[in-house]
Amino acid sequence: MGASGLAQFQQVFIEESLEGLDTMESSLLALDGGGDAELVHGIFRAAHSIKGGAAIFGFPEMSSFTHEAESLLDELRDGRRAIDGATIELLLRVVDCLRGMFAQAQAGQPLIDAAADALRGELAAVMGRAAPAAATMEAKGGPGAWRIGFRPHRGMLASGNDPLRLLRELAALGELDVTAELDRLPALEALDPDECHLGWRLELRGDVKRAAIAAVFDWVEDECDLAIEPLPPAVPAQASVPAAAATPARTAREAGAESGSVRVSIDKIDGLINLVGELVITQSMLDTFREGANASRLAMLEQGLVQLARHTRELQESVMGIRMLPIASVFNRFPRMVRDIGQKLGKQVRLELAGEHTELDKTVLEKIGDPLVHLVRNAIDHGLETPERRRAAGKPEAGTLRLEASHRGGSIVVEVVDDGAGLNRGAIVAKAVERGLVASGEGMDDDAVAELIFRPGFSTAAVTTDLSGRGVGMDVVRRNVADLGGTVTVRSAPGRGSTFTIVLPLTLAIIDGLTAAVGDERYIVPLVSIVESVQLDDGAIKTMPGGGELFRFRGDYLPVVRLHEAFGCEGAVREIPRGLMIVVEGDGSRAGLFVDGLVGQQQAVVKSLEANYRRVQGVSGATILADGSVALIVDIPGLVRMQGRRRAA
Amino acid sequence: MAKILAVDDSASMRGMVAFTLRGAGHEVSEAENGELALGAARGERFDLVLADVNMPVMDGISMVRELRALDAYRGVPILMLTTESHADKKMEGKAAGATGWLVKPFDPEQLLATVKRVLG
Amino acid sequence: MAGRKDDEARVALPADCRMAAAPALHAALCSALARPACVLDGAAVERVDTSALQLLAAFRRDAVARGVAVRWHGASAALREAAGLLGLARALDLPATQPA
Repeated sequence: MGASGLAQFQQVFIEESLEGLDTMESSLLALDGGGDAELVHGIFRAAHSIKGGAAIFGFPEMSSFTHEAESLLDELRDGRRAIDGATIELLLRVVDCLRGMFAQAQAGQPLIDAAADALRGELAAVMGRAAPAAATMEAKGGPGAWRIGFRPHRGMLASGNDPLRLLRELAALGELDVTAELDRLPALEALDPDECHLGWRLELRGDVKRAAIAAVFDWVEDECDLAIEPLPPAVPAQASVPAAAATPARTAREAGAESGSVRVSIDKIDGLINLVGELVITQSMLDTFREGANASRLAMLEQGLVQLARHTRELQESVMGIRMLPIASVFNRFPRMVRDIGQKLGKQVRLELAGEHTELDKTVLEKIGDPLVHLVRNAIDHGLETPERRRAAGKPEAGTLRLEASHRGGSIVVEVVDDGAGLNRGAIVAKAVERGLVASGEGMDDDAVAELIFRPGFSTAAVTTDLSGRGVGMDVVRRNVADLGGTVTVRSAPGRGSTFTIVLPLTLAIIDGLTAAVGDERYIVPLVSIVESVQLDDGAIKTMPGGGELFRFRGDYLPVVRLHEAFGCEGAVREIPRGLMIVVEGDGSRAGLFVDGLVGQQQAVVKSLEANYRRVQGVSGATILADGSVALIVDIPGLVRMQGRRRAA
Repeated sequence: MAKILAVDDSASMRGMVAFTLRGAGHEVSEAENGELALGAARGERFDLVLADVNMPVMDGISMVRELRALDAYRGVPILMLTTESHADKKMEGKAAGATGWLVKPFDPEQLLATVKRVLG
Repeated sequence: MAGRKDDEARVALPADCRMAAAPALHAALCSALARPACVLDGAAVERVDTSALQLLAAFRRDAVARGVAVRWHGASAALREAAGLLGLARALDLPATQPA
């Protein structure tokens, strides 16, 4: 009971601490550019909370390590030490090291870290003293094995705290070895049975946290002498066997808990509770119609239904909102990364972040990190010029890299903007020709050329650096984004820089779509992909020699995808003038979807087709319509790709 | 199963405690202030006393002190039901002889776990 | 808790062998120390606490020092479990299992 409750708080402590470390890191980076006293105070506070919490929640190694860093911060805070680059560098490494320790703690691994010991030495050296030996000793202590000295004060029995109960609770935590100390037991005749005259030396083995032991003694801390210290493993080889055996299960469980939970703000919960309250009121109002309706009550019924619809919609949005988390958690890793990459490549980079509070679905958030990292690396590596070249071009020596997130309609837009050299048209075309992607660049506009960098196997780097040359290209970025139901495009101006734009759906669980009829079937076309719907005459369609059809739309010729052909539907409209052409955009190219007509617009709750049936090309999922029938959701990028292959074939 | 005395001036609180403990098979007596509780405790020996701190007539701290002075209640667990804002009350209660405390608000599971803890 | 033979004290531990019973147990054990031998019967013990076990530990230690022969006639599971948890099983010289 106590143990599981405590584990919960431990998890919360780890989450708080990781946030604290993010704050420390961003403040340290801000200090690097000449910061103020408040930043130092903030860093100190974060370190102090981690130190205190670590001691309470059973991470003495972390606590003593943070204590060293805190001492250094204390000197900075008091002005006894100047803030210089070397100190900031050292403290940044402390932050990294603590992150590592928290990762170990989350995985249930022992916190033994050579890097921590080395850093501890450096911290001590900076402060002009030898590394504390005791701390190292503590770090070597066996995981979760403890020596406990327990001597109750005489009055403890009378207060109802029986040592027998306490030892029984300890025995429930792990393997308990008990030695009673009878040295203070008086002669029988002189013994007061209401008083405790015994003491105990205990050894507790198993995966036990200090806090769990402390919890056993919580009522009696003023009524006994208590010493809890880590037990050095007697025979390391033996001790490591059960620990190693216990670790995987634990890791799996905690990892599951980690990805399976979301921290939700009280405001969101309160909003939900309010909405449910409203629903209950509406429901009771509608309930009165059980007794029968008459004309006067019909207006009330209508009003009730309108309310019900509104509240249901709001409730749905609120519930979806629980999964929404600010993109700041992804953005926050960039200041450090940009600084490191810039240093490595000899480039000066000024990073601007905007829209950190923009919220994304947790699943999207977890998966957008890698593509963004790649785009940022790419922008610094290939986009931004060296200080010399920038100077020569009449630009400031430091390049600007801007990460911006925003809501745009039902989508999230994340942009990576650099003020570098822009895409090199010549180099891209040359590489594409060399790779056999195109015959020549003639007749290709700049957008078409830019699109080439997203083709599989494309790389424009003249020299493969250790940063971008990892065999991962822009095609992987695009595929990762497409897997999230999003798109990535690039705009570029020579000498002025490039902008990569990622457009993502708000959530993966619900999409806004138009319901289209094709024969007896219904298909959902995601609203984000739709450009426009047009009705065409027969003359607007050109049939190509291979049988493919094109139509003219705003000066371009777009391929026609007849949905009834793509999905083999019976009884569909075949004559162009009688149907409707939905112009869609996916994966950077446009096409016209030919359908019978539109039935309506609706929000579709996405059901996985793979989970319930199997993957179907051109279909991203299914949903259930109001009448109970199933409609397939059209995968626009997939369909456009299918069409492209058909044309190429 | 144990004989438990639940002391609280709030009927809802007392009811929740008694209901929960009876559900777990305990025999529960109720008292709405310290004085009534002392009278009940002199009449029969309970295995556990749960006492609210703030009560009219006789407050929980005084009740614990007097209860602990009775021969029959040496070593008998007495738990205070206290609110977190009264952290000093925990110490005051301990000094009066209480075994420990249960912090309000608590849910039935926490109550049962704590009772199980003191009764062994 | 009365003597049975002239030279052998017999102390039967009550079912509820906790602090409230300690004064009586204390008195019985003190008088047993004045006899040449003592039989402890712990078969009936259902509940026991540190207070009582500490009395028994002091009694056995003092009895051995004075040459009083102490033997157990039954020890309940509850008694043995508690003595084990408190690390007093050896000090009390409890029988490993209860005689049939």
